[in-house]
Amino acid sequence: MDAPHETALQLLARKLNLHHRLSDLDQQAILRLPHKIRRLEAQSYILREGDRPDRCGVLLEGYAFRHKLTGDGSRQILAINIPGEALDFQNLFLEEADHNVQMLTRGVIADVPREAIEDLVARHFEVGRAILISSLVEASIFREWVVNIGQRDSRSRIAHLLCEFAYRLNAQALHAGDIYELPITQEQLADATGLTPVHVNRVLQALQREGLIERDRRMIRFPNWERMRDVADFNPRYLHTAELAT
Amino acid sequence: MTETSSLGALFRRWKRRLPVSSEDEAAVVNLTWARKQFQRDAYLAREGEQAKVCTVLLQGFAYRQKIMSDGSRQIISFHIPGEFLDIQNCLLEVADHNVQALTRCLVAIVPKELLLQVMSARPAVRQAIWLDSLLDASVFREWVVNVGRRDARQRIAHLLCELALRMKAAGLGEGSMLDFPITQEQIADATGLTAVHTNRTLQALRRSGLITLTASKLTILDWDALAEAGDFSERYLHHSV
Repeated sequence: MDAPHETALQLLARKLNLHHRLSDLDQQAILRLPHKIRRLEAQSYILREGDRPDRCGVLLEGYAFRHKLTGDGSRQILAINIPGEALDFQNLFLEEADHNVQMLTRGVIADVPREAIEDLVARHFEVGRAILISSLVEASIFREWVVNIGQRDSRSRIAHLLCEFAYRLNAQALHAGDIYELPITQEQLADATGLTPVHVNRVLQALQREGLIERDRRMIRFPNWERMRDVADFNPRYLHTAELAT
Repeated sequence: MTETSSLGALFRRWKRRLPVSSEDEAAVVNLTWARKQFQRDAYLAREGEQAKVCTVLLQGFAYRQKIMSDGSRQIISFHIPGEFLDIQNCLLEVADHNVQALTRCLVAIVPKELLLQVMSARPAVRQAIWLDSLLDASVFREWVVNVGRRDARQRIAHLLCELALRMKAAGLGEGSMLDFPITQEQIADATGLTAVHTNRTLQALRRSGLITLTASKLTILDWDALAEAGDFSERYLHHSV
């Protein structure tokens, strides 16, 4: 484990500040949170359903994903997390994890003791509000995923997931240019959209033939973003980034 | 005032989970709020609107939904008395979905600024609202699984189990019989199935002796078998029921 670094939690402060403007004092309090840095390999578990975590992981590098397994063992991916996002703020109040969190790629997380966050929230009201807002935005994204899987056809569904991913990376300024790293396998994409890998493969090939996406290994590009948005039926309102606190 | 006609309805749930005091309850119950009736199918909130109020359901049933650009509808949750219909509106600026009355309903409308004031003055109320929003999110996650990875029979059985547990916890319904004003079309929109498929699946659940479903009553004849059929485990409800 590496020693805590005073700017390691900068990304978290920036993420919380995205929806609710925080004072310098509040932001410094976030940076001063005690934490331990851990490097993780792809697929490592950060949290398992049924765990009672006493710490909260903040993703600093790489991507993670949330998922649940059904009784017959099939997997549903619930969300993809990007750097700066806390992976289990919900366990501040919910004792028992109701899903699994796993690394999608290799990466780095900062483990913050749950007590330190509780203490921060008690002393810095606006930080608590910012954390609550980030949980509400997360809930909005889960709602949109219900809609995506429940009502959209396979083509719109996959296009929607790709649009959301690109849009969130941009909103958090984690990204420059129009090429995105998308380190997700077709099997994982299938588990995120409720489809089979074969079906996902067919849809990706069709999107590519129509010039809506260009792929090269883990990289993806959207040559015609406007049309891609139409195909995806993508309206970023549910991400609540347009209404930034000023 | 009775529980079903005041904001005290919230405390019925909160008291089961959190150390809320009578001062906390008084602070919420004494908030200035407006009572409003809605007819069946009426819109309580629309996607895209500025969110200036929070709504607590006092009587009746309501649901949240989103409409696709092709007009199809996905229901994302059902609500029973004592629940916030739009807790996110107290902190997010713009509504990201629609809220509609499922039956005739009575709601309490609270200006969000007042609710925010109580939340800042009373940590236990803040915690209760925070917990409610996290429970909401957990239910949404389970619904993603339901539409994504379960077959029609499992999806519908799962939905019935969830609603039955939540209604029982809220004191709605006696024994295994519950008020159930949800139409087959609404069940279809909540599970991502067609109305025809939903009808066939409900008939099959009846034939297997798991439920009876009449105009507005649901009877669960064999809870264990229904839970098994629905791949249902209540962990995601976090002891809220």
